[in-house]
Amino acid sequence: MSPEMEFTPSAQLSVGVELELQILNSRDFNLARDAIDLISLVDKTPHPGEVKPEITESMIELNSSVHLGFDTLRAELRQLRDQVTRAAAQLNVRIAGGGSHPFHKWNERRIYPSERFKHLLEVYGYLAKQFTVFGQHIHIGVPDGDSALYLAHALARYIPHFIALSASSPFQQGADTGFQSSRLNTVSAFPLSGVLPFVHTWRDFAAYFEKMRGFGIVDSMKDFYWDIRPKPEYGTVEIRVLDTPLTVERAAQLGAYAQTLAHYLLARRGAPSSDDIYFVYKYNRFQACRYGLAGTIIDTDGGGKLPLQRDVLATLEILQTHAAQLGNSEALSALQAEATSGHSDAEWLREIHRTLGSYHDVARRQSEEWAGKAGV
Amino acid sequence: MNNFEFLPQFPLVANPLALFGLLLLAGALGGELVRRVLNLPRITGYVLIGLVLGASGLDVLDARMRGYTRVFIDIGLGLVLFELGRRIQIAWLIRDRWLAAMALAECTLSFVCMFAALVWVNVEPLYAAVAAAIGVSSSPAIVLLVARELKAEGQVTERALNLVAINSVAAFVLVTMLLSWIHREYQAGWFVVVLHPLYLMSGSLLAGTVASLLALGLAAWLGKRVELHAALLLAIVVVLVGAAEALKLSILISLLTFGVLVRNLDSEHVVMPVDVGRFSQIFFIVLFVATGAILHIGDLIAGGATAAVYVAARFVGKSIGVLSFAHLSGIRAGSGGLLSLALLPMSGVALAMTSSAGSSYPGFNAKLSAIVLAAALIFELIGPLAVQFALRRSGETQEEA
Repeated sequence: MSPEMEFTPSAQLSVGVELELQILNSRDFNLARDAIDLISLVDKTPHPGEVKPEITESMIELNSSVHLGFDTLRAELRQLRDQVTRAAAQLNVRIAGGGSHPFHKWNERRIYPSERFKHLLEVYGYLAKQFTVFGQHIHIGVPDGDSALYLAHALARYIPHFIALSASSPFQQGADTGFQSSRLNTVSAFPLSGVLPFVHTWRDFAAYFEKMRGFGIVDSMKDFYWDIRPKPEYGTVEIRVLDTPLTVERAAQLGAYAQTLAHYLLARRGAPSSDDIYFVYKYNRFQACRYGLAGTIIDTDGGGKLPLQRDVLATLEILQTHAAQLGNSEALSALQAEATSGHSDAEWLREIHRTLGSYHDVARRQSEEWAGKAGV
Repeated sequence: MNNFEFLPQFPLVANPLALFGLLLLAGALGGELVRRVLNLPRITGYVLIGLVLGASGLDVLDARMRGYTRVFIDIGLGLVLFELGRRIQIAWLIRDRWLAAMALAECTLSFVCMFAALVWVNVEPLYAAVAAAIGVSSSPAIVLLVARELKAEGQVTERALNLVAINSVAAFVLVTMLLSWIHREYQAGWFVVVLHPLYLMSGSLLAGTVASLLALGLAAWLGKRVELHAALLLAIVVVLVGAAEALKLSILISLLTFGVLVRNLDSEHVVMPVDVGRFSQIFFIVLFVATGAILHIGDLIAGGATAAVYVAARFVGKSIGVLSFAHLSGIRAGSGGLLSLALLPMSGVALAMTSSAGSSYPGFNAKLSAIVLAAALIFELIGPLAVQFALRRSGETQEEA
């Protein structure tokens, strides 16, 4: 096994999140191009986690450190948010959450000047610039590679939950897409997107990876844009389907949800799961993207057609004891309230557009919502 | 009864409409020619074609035609100042105090350097002071238009534009203050000494304020419609330019105030951030061609050495001011130099200021022109190049790095 496929064990069931964020100018709230200046300014003062560039100069990515529960994760994300917001204010730009910018034009984007991103532009052409969409990735620490694969397959059933609860990309390029999360349509265009192969041991997975590398299709695990991806280097399973929510609080709640769900799934780990879930996977995923909590999913374990909202609420109910053990009850209660009401970030954005009347206002309100008490 | 009355009479009488069209056509073609052949910014091309057509060249534009161009210049300038004003965020200057400090430093230092240098080459203190005050300005038109043409955005671009706006205001305030000195020098009564600057300043501020309140009220009534907001803003710009002209107020301060306030008073965001630039572009082209047409190469020779000293002192003052605060302001290392370069072009508004400063005293005007107009010509030609270089080098233009 090549060294990069050695699975670094995570001692406890930990959680960490990555948030891709929008940099807006404060003139018309279109995307700005200040990533380089912003990152170097933020890094002048000590801060937790990491602030990194993303594929275009209009994006930055916040990485939390590793956490064991909701409280510390939320506290750290708030601190990181406040520091980045302050630095942005000094540069007269704003930061916003949300899975898409409501009206930017993809051809006006510029690739961040690093070798890797320039290479991606070369390989993927316009897809690279269209990839200026903003996602939340959640890492769940697992003890070994086999557990990572078990968890990755087990989580596939719950992917619609994460899509619906984070959905915040109803607008693209100055138009309403009709989707709750339109961002994933952009991801689907990439040839290496989709799901990981249905293998159950780390040995088989490493063999698959080496084969793909042998074909010259990939260089590293980073080249797979799967919805759920094992990350041997960190010793985690990474869920990548979420839109960046409008607030760090929601981002932390979703991190806690993933951690609690993993706790539950690992506790009832039994025989290898059936691959039936992958027959309906794309259908379920589409329903969540298109309709959010109002969508319908297929439960291959005998549940048949289920309203997604009911499935989310039922799952939150099941997770209660696990949440209490991990200190995640507050987070899950908040999600429960949200799911019960049927509200979503996407609908909030549509409401803003209806009442204020322009996409400029939508982007501005996104940035104000993100800044929270820190102000803008 | 002449049977041929329906035919035009020769020689044809100059017609402002045809003139506007011709200047636009000449500018558009000339700008493109200069870009293709010499690889210079289009703006330099507009000015060059203006020089060729104007008094220094073929003299196609006679005095009366040049009179007409005044209107085009005013509207073009009005649009530039309005757009620049809208880019200024007062809150930013409060948040990033070092940017405000940088502005203060480069204004003060450039004034002191120019004044000292001119006095040193034996220019009388009053003329030296007025010329130095005019030189504090940086060209809103050149910086804004080069930034637009290159689709530049980023810290160097935004800071340059903010500094340009501040410089323009500072220059105007200084010139207005010096007006009192000029009036006294020419033995005007105390009444004029006090009231003229006061009228100019407060009247222009008031006009701009009224215009912005009007725009805010009407925009709220119109609702969020891009086309309507664009029409509204353009209409008010043109009306305000006309009103400022009629009321003998400053177009610069009125329009800049309008732009700044319509943005900074709009706490409810009722005015859409519409881009009026596409429409304005045709006026911008004519603005530069017309500016070229009224400049005289002869001034360059007359102003000569003094102008060169003036230009150099100005650049030194501004650069020291910018560079001493660059590392404190939130700007990446190495971009302070580019920022000072972007402030190089002196304002074409200098032309207007020169004539308004001395309009009551022709003798004064002539003495001042010798210094300032030669410098203005130099800046109109090399300014766009300097700004283009600075913005490209900063990596903030649209092209992939």
